[in-house]
Amino acid sequence: MFYGLLILIFAVFIVRLFYVQVIKHEDYKQAALSGQLKQYSIPAERGIIEAYSGNSVVPIVLNEEVYTLFADPVYVADKKAVAEQLSKITGDKAKDYLAKMSKDTRYAVLAKKLDNKKKTAIEKLKFKGVGLRTESIRAYPQGDLAAQLLGFVNDGGQGTYGIEQFMDSQLAGTPGELKAITDIRGVPLVASKDNVLKDPVNGQKIRLTIEIGMQKKVEELLKEHLPTVNSKSGSAIVLDPNNGAIKAIANYPSYNPSRYFDVKDAALFTNPAVSSPLEVGSIMKTLTVATGLNSGAIKVNQTFYDPAQFTVDGYTIHDVAEDGGAQTRSISDILKFSLNSGATWIMMQLGGGQINEKARKLDYDYLTNHYFFGQKTGVEQGYEAPGVVPDPSEGFGLNIKYANMAFGQGLTVTPLQMAAAFAATINGGTYYQPHLVDDGKGAASKIKKQNIISPKISAQLRSLHENSVNTHYTSLIHPGYKIGGKTGTAQIAGSNGKYRTDVFNGTFIGYIGGDKPAYVIMIRINEPHVSYFAGAAAAAPLFKKISDMLIDNFSIPRAD
Amino acid sequence: MTYSSSISIGRRRFATRHQNAVSMAEQARTIGPVSNSIVLVILTCLLGLLYLTQVTKTNSSGYKIDQLKKEYSQLQRDHDELELTAARLQSMDRVAKSNAAKELASVAPTATVR
Repeated sequence: MFYGLLILIFAVFIVRLFYVQVIKHEDYKQAALSGQLKQYSIPAERGIIEAYSGNSVVPIVLNEEVYTLFADPVYVADKKAVAEQLSKITGDKAKDYLAKMSKDTRYAVLAKKLDNKKKTAIEKLKFKGVGLRTESIRAYPQGDLAAQLLGFVNDGGQGTYGIEQFMDSQLAGTPGELKAITDIRGVPLVASKDNVLKDPVNGQKIRLTIEIGMQKKVEELLKEHLPTVNSKSGSAIVLDPNNGAIKAIANYPSYNPSRYFDVKDAALFTNPAVSSPLEVGSIMKTLTVATGLNSGAIKVNQTFYDPAQFTVDGYTIHDVAEDGGAQTRSISDILKFSLNSGATWIMMQLGGGQINEKARKLDYDYLTNHYFFGQKTGVEQGYEAPGVVPDPSEGFGLNIKYANMAFGQGLTVTPLQMAAAFAATINGGTYYQPHLVDDGKGAASKIKKQNIISPKISAQLRSLHENSVNTHYTSLIHPGYKIGGKTGTAQIAGSNGKYRTDVFNGTFIGYIGGDKPAYVIMIRINEPHVSYFAGAAAAAPLFKKISDMLIDNFSIPRAD
Repeated sequence: MTYSSSISIGRRRFATRHQNAVSMAEQARTIGPVSNSIVLVILTCLLGLLYLTQVTKTNSSGYKIDQLKKEYSQLQRDHDELELTAARLQSMDRVAKSNAAKELASVAPTATVR
């Protein structure tokens, strides 16, 4: 009897052990691991952004650790005292903290973006139920410099707008992973064979072509200049025509990237110099002349009879009264006096004497395959716009459309597209992809197309542009330096499809340098209210201010 | 070979041939199943002990590694913070507003002919 009972008890134990250890093995294993196995994502550090400051390189976007102060009210014994002590450190109001902790929640965020000093002070208090969460944000030591060019990183950690958006995958890096059996404090026990440790790959460091001193001055000059011409917004670009490197892009108005969440109008985030195409007006004549010369349709020393107006598709294109009416003109006059009739005449020469399909197709080929309009330049910016070049064969009123395009109306390009194309026409004929990231590979790696026009034609164009400045835009002269350029006063299409007559955009494209151009400068002034043509009265003076600043501060070699 | 030496060899052969043929070699010692089990248990325990010692040592190293990693991270954070502070101190706005900048006199650029 006794032995029978003993055997029964043992049998019960054995059956129970079998059930627990064999049948329920997996369940209990998972239950044990759920408490011991910890899985962390190790965040990658976002790459910093640098730029040039003279011969040195300085960081302009870095990472900063800030802290979010939170409380679990359930564990906070004396809420009033805690609120008072914390508020003394953070500078906030104690009653706000008390109100947050009085709500029915287990996670009350009391303060955000606290610095390391405040974090250390709070940690010393050792309040139960109060914690600090680390967060990495972007820091901008140069303040709001080049804000639209840089973009920002949103709360989700994604690069938004500007270089942050375009280079997001390179800047972000790849998060690491730690999967390990840990002790009660969460420290991984390295002896476990199931541990997984994958180190994060930090984001790449990006070096910009921007010269911060130049960027700063161009931004200041633009901001100071706009009120003098009664304009509310504008852009200026400084580009190195010998390699396509953008040295400065300034826009006004702008914003503070470290306070991006305060911005009410999202349009402020975009970089208008690359994302806002416009009808550039007469600065397009520089490219029309280039097309005419390079295609052989016109000769540089040629003269022609200009009736001062042409009728195309029933529409009359005419010059302004100041241009002096019908007379014999030179190619130089087209640029110097900004003759719409002269640009139309060149378009006619492309077609053998009249604007026709041949002229349109040839012009379209130059615009899209030589100057690369109608397509993104590929500059490292979010939301770049391609602009629009009308098709030469489809649509209505194509001849008048292409006649208008000869002097910069009816097609849209961004200021950067215009600057890059113009640079190619004056640097000997090489189109360099405009770029903001200095990858250290040199100018040769940035060549998009060579001989978009011949070196000979390029030299002729420089001579024409310099002649315009030396004989017409004489206020732009800076002795010892070669300066060439062209004004543009562009009509603005209204919401009814017709051009407005009350306001214009002022543009200017030009270059400065010694024996070879050192910088191309593109100016855009939106809707200035001036008493003369917007290009000459609003845009050209800013070109002058920027070119003087460059000559005075950036060691441009003088002409021999 | 001499006569006497050949006689001597013959005697030795005789002696060998007529010795007792039964082998008296010592038998090999063996241990029983109980002893075997005890030895195995002891060995297993020793191995287990060795294993536990190593695991403990490794985990102890893990704590050291964890501590060093934390120190490294802290140093990295300090470095980043100093880099940011340095960048802020060298920012153009701050330099322009510094006392040293205020004392600078404006001169016409020597390289420019106006």
